[in-house]
Amino acid sequence: MSAGVNRLLAPAGLLVDHGRQVGFSFEGKSYRGLAGDTLASALAANDVWLLSRSFKYHRPRGILTMAGQDANTLVQLKHEPNVPADRLPIVERLEAWGQNYTGSLERDEDAFMGRFARFMPVGFYYRAFFRPKGSWQSFWEPRVRNKAGLGRIELDAPHGDFDKAYGFYDVAVIGGGPAGLAAALAAAEAGAEVLLVEENSVLGGSLTYARFDPEGKRAAAERAALVAAVEAQPNIEVMTDALCNGWFADNWLPVIRGNRLYKVRAKETILATGSIEQPAIFRNNDLPGIMQGSAAQRLIRLYGVRPGKRAVVLTGNEDGYGVALDLAEAGVDVEAVVDLRPAPAPSDLAAAVAGRDIRILTGHAVTEALATRGNRHVKGVRVRPLQADDRRDLTVTYDCDILCMSPGYTPTYQLALQSGARLGYDDETALFSITGLQDHLQVAGSVNGSYDLDAALADGRLAAWQAAKALGLDAGKKPKAPDPAEAGGVNHPWPILRHPKGKDFVDFDEDLQTADIVNAVAEGYDELELVKRFSTVGMGPSQGRHSALATARLVARETERSVAEIGVTTARPPFAGEKLGVLAGRGFEPERLTAMHHRHLELGAQMMPAGLWWRPGYYGPKDRREAAIIEEVLAVRGNVAMIDVSTLGGLEVRGPDAAEFLNRIYTFAYSKQPVGRARYALMTNEAGTVIDDGVACRLRDEHFYVTATTGGVDRVYRSMLWWNAQWRLDVDIANVTAAYAGVNVAGPKSRAVLEALVEDLDLSAEAFPYMGLREGRVAGIPARLMRVGFVGELGYEIHVPASYGEALWDSLMAAGQAHGLKPFGVEAQRVLRLEKGHIIIGQDTDAMTTPDEVDMAWAIAKKKPFFVGGRSIELRRRHPSRRKLVGFSFAGGAAFLPEESNLVVRDGEMIGFVTSVTASATLKKVIGLAYTAADAAAPGTRLPIRLTSGRVVEAEVTSPHFYDPDNRRQEPEEAEEP
Amino acid sequence: MTAPAHFPRRSFVYRQVIKAGPTFDPLSDSAIVLDFGHPDGETEAARRLGLADLSPLPRAGFKGAGTVEWLAGKKLTVPGESNRAVRQKNGALAARLAPAEVLVLGGLGSNVGSLPKTLSAAWAAEPSPSATARGYPVPRQDSHAWFLLTGESAAAMFAKLCAVDLRPGKFDDLAIAQTSVARISAIVIRDDRGKTPAFHLLADSASAAYLWDVLRDAMAEFEGRLMGLTAARALGRG
Repeated sequence: MSAGVNRLLAPAGLLVDHGRQVGFSFEGKSYRGLAGDTLASALAANDVWLLSRSFKYHRPRGILTMAGQDANTLVQLKHEPNVPADRLPIVERLEAWGQNYTGSLERDEDAFMGRFARFMPVGFYYRAFFRPKGSWQSFWEPRVRNKAGLGRIELDAPHGDFDKAYGFYDVAVIGGGPAGLAAALAAAEAGAEVLLVEENSVLGGSLTYARFDPEGKRAAAERAALVAAVEAQPNIEVMTDALCNGWFADNWLPVIRGNRLYKVRAKETILATGSIEQPAIFRNNDLPGIMQGSAAQRLIRLYGVRPGKRAVVLTGNEDGYGVALDLAEAGVDVEAVVDLRPAPAPSDLAAAVAGRDIRILTGHAVTEALATRGNRHVKGVRVRPLQADDRRDLTVTYDCDILCMSPGYTPTYQLALQSGARLGYDDETALFSITGLQDHLQVAGSVNGSYDLDAALADGRLAAWQAAKALGLDAGKKPKAPDPAEAGGVNHPWPILRHPKGKDFVDFDEDLQTADIVNAVAEGYDELELVKRFSTVGMGPSQGRHSALATARLVARETERSVAEIGVTTARPPFAGEKLGVLAGRGFEPERLTAMHHRHLELGAQMMPAGLWWRPGYYGPKDRREAAIIEEVLAVRGNVAMIDVSTLGGLEVRGPDAAEFLNRIYTFAYSKQPVGRARYALMTNEAGTVIDDGVACRLRDEHFYVTATTGGVDRVYRSMLWWNAQWRLDVDIANVTAAYAGVNVAGPKSRAVLEALVEDLDLSAEAFPYMGLREGRVAGIPARLMRVGFVGELGYEIHVPASYGEALWDSLMAAGQAHGLKPFGVEAQRVLRLEKGHIIIGQDTDAMTTPDEVDMAWAIAKKKPFFVGGRSIELRRRHPSRRKLVGFSFAGGAAFLPEESNLVVRDGEMIGFVTSVTASATLKKVIGLAYTAADAAAPGTRLPIRLTSGRVVEAEVTSPHFYDPDNRRQEPEEAEEP
Repeated sequence: MTAPAHFPRRSFVYRQVIKAGPTFDPLSDSAIVLDFGHPDGETEAARRLGLADLSPLPRAGFKGAGTVEWLAGKKLTVPGESNRAVRQKNGALAARLAPAEVLVLGGLGSNVGSLPKTLSAAWAAEPSPSATARGYPVPRQDSHAWFLLTGESAAAMFAKLCAVDLRPGKFDDLAIAQTSVARISAIVIRDDRGKTPAFHLLADSASAAYLWDVLRDAMAEFEGRLMGLTAARALGRG
């Protein structure tokens, strides 16, 4: 089986290997191509030109650019829609389909849509589909989407591995054509570290396909020399198949290669992005077989594919003659070269064409392409003189199966314009210019108007010299600038032949015809940005690369202004479509594990997140959740249990001013706090709002170990540093959260468990009282021990260096075995602390909570001259709060258990909300905390709570200290006074 | 058999390390990986890209007013500027993280960690509060995991995780970057082992397991391998 009837003999085709065939299928039919083929080139070799259907009218579409720049070749893969067939390499067993059709690509049941074009004028959807109200969502949208979809998303697509990498260079050269190659070489020779980015698989740009001389030899020779020099230059890193998809401040360049996004930083950037060949506009200019001249050249020179049998070339410059010569050499009968220019200057290429007896029609234009049945392919063109005499019809028809268009170019200006540069247009020469570039950014080559090969090379070298100079490198003598005169004549000013019957497409993506643009202007949308929004021109996948210039010309003519005045629409990143996977990259989702994490897993814990940390919620299977939590609560109340508290924030505050610092940061007083004692620490912000709490442990006169909430410690630490940067107290603050693992052993038998593990500590109530602090060894591990009572039982919080955490846990479990010690999790701890009436900052407080509202006035030192928030608390006390956090309870079980955030109501009005609630197994009733109106906060007041179901349950306001309100279980009690 | 769980002090990633079949050696109250069965092969691979968990090795931190002067008084050569490190005669490394903050990493030789331990003990032995400012110890042994990344591909591997250019010509031997690696705060210190580029990576100990997996994943592209202390020492010999 051959690799296609249109395949040229070896060695034709720079990219293909004639010795290796590849089998693939399109629309369910099997074909063979060559290794190195794209899907489009392999199909073209097999004489398959219909690749997909158009968005609106379902017109047949085929190859336009062979450069991945258009929407005509977007195909569907098994797991991916909208893949440019002219960029997609074929691989063995590749399966692809066309897009936008009903039935089959060949026989699209929706092909009739084109006949209704006159009922779908520009902007018709703004006037349709919205009546009756709601009909868009319920009726129209599903139908429109069904007809106008762009490919099919596969929800079960396999996982893709994407990632990102940083890259750092002195000079980034974007574009590996002649100017880019010359620039990269010159910059590297000056000593710069250069990145050369090329979107194609090989370097060379236009040197790989275009023709610069009658013999057709110069491009290959120049390319060979330049590429060899680049490959031999160690200062150049080449990235082929890589797309620089945007320009961001300070030369931050996103370069996509495969599934990786390179985040490139370049001190100097040279954009050698080249230019984009433009289509001509005439009736049926979208038929398969009608393509850019450069597309035909790419088929021939890159893939060894003959693009047709009989050709007509429509041109506005010399390049069209090069196309004609290439076609002729590939065995295509060139019927005619139709030159839009009335009197082109003599050239070597034109002479060579004439020498081959190819018909040259100057001052002529193609007015219409003729189609085979169903518009499936071009079969001929109508040509007439541009200055036609209306009395005589001079139109001539030429048969052809390929029409090449070479009317001119636009610079690939997108990256430059993203940087803030301006695009100018000379209405005399029809040439663009880019000005106003940022510092450290340059353009070179045809994007800079240097179309001539020598000019492009010179421009590249000049840009490199300037970049090297900016880098402080010795780049030698300043190279000669290219001659601006050499750029003239590449663009025809008006390659637009409006046709009374339409189908003269300006924008292939959106099926917009010249009348659509003209009508948009007539509707009053006379600025380009408005025309774009009204008509959607330039909003398709090719982002106006082939429609912006024609649209600007049409708008200019209709508004009687110059193209320079009209300009182009704003260029924004990305330049081309990019996958969400590329943007996401590899998932970096840090998580923090305590030293005992794996022990929790081994014990069957259900882990729950707490910020970045994972904490044990409860131990046991999920279907035993409620029972497990109750068992853990009862173990603490009646026996002994322990919880991993390693996530608790830890801060070392050391120095002569340590106590004074804490006096200012926290509401309580610490100057007279004895060494060996812990004291509650409540933090308010400047507004007097409660923001964190913990315990300040005085290890030495000048050394406090302060705990903070798991979620709040980083903010507390930052806040401490921020305040002391102003106070300049002699104190050092260190966040040691990760350095310490912690376990809270709680319950009546906690002392008994611990006694088995300590040798140098007296754990008796007298020697180590409530809120006492000791340092010693637990199971031989250096530890800080605190007698704190968050859960309301005799308990010891043991903090050890984190790397000993697992060993501490193991020792405690072993020592506790004889006492029936159980681990308990965060869920049980929440119940226990609620029974005790201890609030959780962030759950029982919000962004307005004052200490008074949560009955924390006792934690505010009255004699201190200052603490953060103190003044605000004073001021807020002058306007007493209208709410209060209260305890509530009612008899009953889980059947009518309120949820957090359920509303407290009075006479149908919300007067508060629930912050914490549980059905207490210890107390045999539902208990909770809720905000309520200050005048409804007295114990005994009714507290109606509206459940999520809407039902209202009657609770009663009580003291929040439901369990052991006198702290008798902390034996012996020792009151702490500020 | 020497296993980390037989010792009270355990590396933050010992469970992940064990999966690769290491041989451990006792080190004070912990255990360190000597090798993964092929020390010579590990050394060779580490010249391209290697990763070692040095978390069990001693390290010490000091910060606050008087730190530099106090350390200098203990014969430590402290770098003259921040974000630079100086190798000490006994193989240890003094890294200056800020004008008044120094991290001391013990050497990998036979006297592993003697300097951090000596300094910590000396600080603790002096009366507190002291008459003159001498800074405060920082618990680097437990706040930070300590990994060693070596080899000619290390910088390219880091480029996938870190926004600092760590290539040899751009990030000198003994330079320090305090930056973000795979979205967590980290200290990166270049400390070449012989002719092999090498980087100490110190990061939040609680995130060590996450970071270890991320590093292994990033290394796969370059066929990076794990190594033990034996290979790390061999690299240092040339």
